[in-house]
Amino acid sequence: MKFIRRAIQGGDFDRGGTASRRLKEQLKKIGADPAAIRRAMIAAYEAEMNVVIHARKGLLRATFDTGRLNVEVVDEGPGIPDIDQAMKEGYSTAPANARELGFGAGMGLPNIKRNSDRFSIESTAGRGTRVAFTIFLRPQASAGAGRNSIRVVANKCRECMACLRACPTRALRVRGGRPKVLEHLCIDCAACLAACESGALTTAGTVDGLPPAQDAVLVIPPALVAQFGPGVGRERVLAALKDLGFGEVRVADVWDNALGEAVRDYAQHDSQVHPVISPACPAVVNLIETRYPSLIAHLAPFASPMEAAKDELAGRRAVFVVACPCQQTVLGGDLAADSATILPKTLHSILAPRLAREHSGRAARNERHGASAEERGLLRVTGLRHVMAVLEKLENGLLEDVAILEPCLCDEGCFGSPLFAEDAFVARERGAAGPSKAAPRAGAVRRRAPYRARAGLRLDSDMALAIQKLAQLDKLIRSLPGRDCGQCGAPTCAALAEDVVRGRAAGVICVHRAGGGEKPK
Amino acid sequence: MRLDDLAGKIEARILTDSAPAARPVEHVYAGDRISDLLSHASDTTLLVSNLSGAPLIRLADLMDVPAICLVGGQRPEAEFVAAAQSHGTVVMVSPAGMFETCGRIYQCLLEAKRVGP
Repeated sequence: MKFIRRAIQGGDFDRGGTASRRLKEQLKKIGADPAAIRRAMIAAYEAEMNVVIHARKGLLRATFDTGRLNVEVVDEGPGIPDIDQAMKEGYSTAPANARELGFGAGMGLPNIKRNSDRFSIESTAGRGTRVAFTIFLRPQASAGAGRNSIRVVANKCRECMACLRACPTRALRVRGGRPKVLEHLCIDCAACLAACESGALTTAGTVDGLPPAQDAVLVIPPALVAQFGPGVGRERVLAALKDLGFGEVRVADVWDNALGEAVRDYAQHDSQVHPVISPACPAVVNLIETRYPSLIAHLAPFASPMEAAKDELAGRRAVFVVACPCQQTVLGGDLAADSATILPKTLHSILAPRLAREHSGRAARNERHGASAEERGLLRVTGLRHVMAVLEKLENGLLEDVAILEPCLCDEGCFGSPLFAEDAFVARERGAAGPSKAAPRAGAVRRRAPYRARAGLRLDSDMALAIQKLAQLDKLIRSLPGRDCGQCGAPTCAALAEDVVRGRAAGVICVHRAGGGEKPK
Repeated sequence: MRLDDLAGKIEARILTDSAPAARPVEHVYAGDRISDLLSHASDTTLLVSNLSGAPLIRLADLMDVPAICLVGGQRPEAEFVAAAQSHGTVVMVSPAGMFETCGRIYQCLLEAKRVGP
C-alpha cells in the first residue's frame, strides 16, 4: 500500500497539477495498466484544478496498491450550493481568469465521474468540498482466474487419497507424501477441505489473532451466528461482537438479498437466456467457467455478495469473516491494507466461551415463511453433487420450468462450508432468520469483467505438439487398467496419463500393472 | 504519420529542439477547453489549441501527449517551451489560424492514408 499526500494552492495555475504528476510517477512505478493511469490522470487533474480554480487551498490524498487507487481531494473554499447542478455537463462557476486558460467548460465533475469506478462528492456551502473517487487498476475477473486459497500444511498428509476423490475438477494430486493443487483446474470450492481429515489441506488466512477492532466494520456470514448453540440467537451474537470493539457489525445476508433482487430483476427484464444462474457462490462461477463453459451465458453479470460488501465498504476499514476459501480469494486479492479477512474459527474461539456463559437454555425461535410469490420459479440447489447434477441437466435442456437457478457448492449454501463447525442443516435452521428490519440496506454490484471460459486441459501451447501429445495420451490411457484407484497419487488413470504427458509425473508407476512396482514415495 | 513530416507539410515551426520529433501521430484533437483536451488526449494524439498557458503543458505531461500545435503564429513564453522540452513534448506553431491549420492537418493525414500502408 502506498500513500501520497500533497497540498494544493488555490489560484496557483502554474503549479496546479503537480499533485497529479506525483501520483502518476508512483502509479507508473508499480506498473499499473496504462489505460488505468490515463483514467486516473483525467480524474485527478480535474479534481486538483477544481481546487486551484475555486478554493483557497486543498489537499490531495491517495492510497493505492496493485488492485485499486483511492483518491480524495478536500478543499477549503466556497463549497457547492447545488451539487446536482454542478454535476450537469456545461454548468460552471469558474471565474474569467480560469476561463482564459481553458477551464470553465463545466465538464470537470462529470469527467471525474466518467473516468472513475466509484465517485462521491460532499460539499458544505461556505466551508469546502470533498471529492473522492476510486479507480480499479486491473481487470477484475482475469485477476481471479487461476488463483485459489487452498493451502497445503507440510507433514500432515496421511496419503488417504480422500481429497483426490472429492475434487470435482480433478485438480488434486498426492505425490511425494503431500497433496498438490493444480491451479488451472482448482475452482476454489471447499470439497477437498471437507474431505481432508488429517489437516493437510487448509484455507489461506493471514490473521491469527483479531485485527484491531477500533472503528472497523465487521462483516460476518449469516452462518456465523448459528455456531453457538440453540439458545444463542442473532442478536446476542451481534451484541457480543460489538463488545469486541467493532464500530459496526454487518451480517452479509443483506448483500445476499440485494443480489437475489438484482438477479430476479435481471431475469425478468434483461436476460435473453433462461434460466438465469445466480452468481451468489463464486466457486460455482469458477466451476461453470471450468467445466460447463456452455452455461456461461446463463450467469447473471453481478459480483458475489462479499465482493459487493467490499465495494460498498471501500474507503472504510473493514474486517471480513470469510466462509470459504473462494471468498478469501475474491476478497483477499486487492483488499485495502488496513482491512483484513479472518477465518470463522478465529472469532469462534473468542466468542464461544463468552456466549456459553450466558447460555439461557431457551431455544431462540426462528421465523419461518412459506415460499413467497417472488420466489416461484427459483430453484436453490446446494451441495456439490446436486449442483453438478443440475448443471448437467441444464446443459441438456432439461430445466425448462426454472426461471432462476441459485446454486451453491456447499450444503445449504455457506452454512455448509467446512470452515464452520456446526452441521450445515442445523446451522441453516438456526441462522436463516434473515436480516433484521433495522439493518441498513445494501445494493448489488455489476461485474466489471465478463465471464470467461477457462482453458482446462491444454496439452501444449503449440498445436502441432499438442496433437502429438494427444496421441501419446490415448495410447497411455489404453495401457492403464482404468480402475481409478488413486494409489499413484492421481485421481484417475486418465489424469495420471495426462500428468505423464505434460511432465507433471515422472513416469507411469501403477500398482495394478505388471512391473508397475510399488507406490511412489 | 511522423510529427516532423507533418510539421513540414503544414508549414509549422517546431520550437522544441530536444523533444523527439520523429514520433508517430495517430490522432489529432483540436480544442480550447482543458476538459475536452483532457478527455481526448493520449500518447499518440496531437493536440491543436489556441491555449498556451501552464495548464496545457501540464496536461500534455500527465497524458503523455507527444506534441502540441499552437495556432495563429503565437509566440509562447519561454517557460512554456522549456517545460514542454523537459518532459519531451514537441511544441510547434502553425502560422495559420485554427480553422486553416486543422484543414491542412486533415489534408495531410488523408493523403498519408491514401499513400501509406
